[in-house]
Amino acid sequence: MTSTSEIPSLDLDLFSDDVLTDPFPVYERIRNAGPVVYLPRYRSYAMGRYADVRAGLADWESFSSAQGIGLNDLANAATQGMIIATDPPEHDRLRDVLASRLSPKAIRQLKDDIERRADELVAPLVRQGDFDAVDDLARAFPISIVLDLIGLPQNGRDKVLGWADAAFSASGPPGPRTDAAFPLLEDQLAYLSSIEPDQLTPGSMGRAIYDAAAAGRIRQESCVPLMSAYVTAGLDTTINAISNAVWYFAHNPEQWDLVRLDPTLIPSAFNEVLRIESPVQFFCRVATRDVDVDGLTLAAGSRVMMLYASANRDERKWADPARFDVRRNPVDHLAFGYGMHGCAGQGLARLEGHSILAALARRVERFEVGAPVRRINQLIRGLDALPTTVRPVAETA
Amino acid sequence: MRITVDEARCEGYGFCAEAAPHLLELDDEGDLKVLSEEVAPGDAANAEAAVRVCPVAALRLEP
Ligand code: HEM
Ligand code: SF4
Repeated sequence: MTSTSEIPSLDLDLFSDDVLTDPFPVYERIRNAGPVVYLPRYRSYAMGRYADVRAGLADWESFSSAQGIGLNDLANAATQGMIIATDPPEHDRLRDVLASRLSPKAIRQLKDDIERRADELVAPLVRQGDFDAVDDLARAFPISIVLDLIGLPQNGRDKVLGWADAAFSASGPPGPRTDAAFPLLEDQLAYLSSIEPDQLTPGSMGRAIYDAAAAGRIRQESCVPLMSAYVTAGLDTTINAISNAVWYFAHNPEQWDLVRLDPTLIPSAFNEVLRIESPVQFFCRVATRDVDVDGLTLAAGSRVMMLYASANRDERKWADPARFDVRRNPVDHLAFGYGMHGCAGQGLARLEGHSILAALARRVERFEVGAPVRRINQLIRGLDALPTTVRPVAETA
Repeated sequence: MRITVDEARCEGYGFCAEAAPHLLELDDEGDLKVLSEEVAPGDAANAEAAVRVCPVAALRLEP
């Protein structure tokens, strides 16, 4: 058996401002160094190649989520019991409750409503001509949809977004950014704990969680962590995807023309946005046994970062990975993870993304964007502001 | 070759059915139906593509 000492060690800082602003050169170094590398600063390993990340995500028996998916003990303890930090059989019980409301079948009847909401949001923005693609478009849309679906009472809603951002960042390595984010994660959990089930809209996804607990399908203690999964995972991820889409289409007008002229490319285009600029950069797993990673042995107990964002730019998998190509149709990208923990909300995320792109494709001929303001977060990647001007398509009707 | 679906994991994304319409289909209810577990040699590439695109790894190919 090979020993772990053969795993290359790289003294990289993945969380400096510079790297968080542009992590891709560092990911390339990680990929080129080996199938798995050791990062001494975090006393953790990282996988950056597509084939290894995908195989690792598929093998949940060797790569456990139950010790938390973050890089610090405090967050890993605070997120105990959240679906993302469980293994079967607990995971499957929780997943059933979410999937019964989030699966493509369950959200089919939302399609018309979400498409209408996309139109109602986009039409006045295009008329207005100038807007912030983050605040006015990318944030406004998922917030209105997801918070209604969860059935949250109106008071407190305004704080939910800041908490969601922090709930991700709190899982970074020990340090000032994590220290700043952690109290907000606690505030989010305190807020969710303070909500009585009957304050949630009857029939909502949130209410369904409490109904499942009342019916004995899950434990009462699982309700708040599941609610947290909705409000954390369901917001900034989609928000980042939508604002990234505007940025890429502004910088690749010929790609926007392709989509405008052939809207059947929208699913492929949305996948391409997720591939090239994965909203979730990584989550961790812990090896439950000595595991072979493409010829290197990762010792039992090792914490390993699964770099989705790097896998999605792996030149071993993708031709010319930094090129934005709406015809690529990268259906097997890893931006939603893969396998058992593969994003439970991807049907909804796709529905939201496709609806917004379709509404824009009907109305916008060109996007012009000013300098974006990046939102620095240790786990997710996106923008804080993107001044946008659109040229509407010539009036047809 | 045989293709099987783990029904507990399948959430009905249907990408598999797009990749291998001879073998898999989403019915009107949105549930996945395996049209043919037996994969003819000519369908092997499609079957592999179907397994590959399932986001939750619910499909299995057995020799
Ligand atoms: C473009 C938008 C989205 C992206 C990029 C995204 C990304 C991800 C990723 C990478 C995972 C994998 C976790 C892992 O491997 O451990 C995940 C899991 C999850 N996502 Fe999403 N997500 C998005 C939208 C949503 C939405 C809209 C919801 C719900 C309303 C949601 C709910 C969840 C849940 C509940 C899990 C945990 C699943 C489990 O552990 O079994 N996500 N997501
Ligand atoms: S792609 Fe996977 S989850 Fe979707 S219908 Fe096919 S087997 Fe089921």
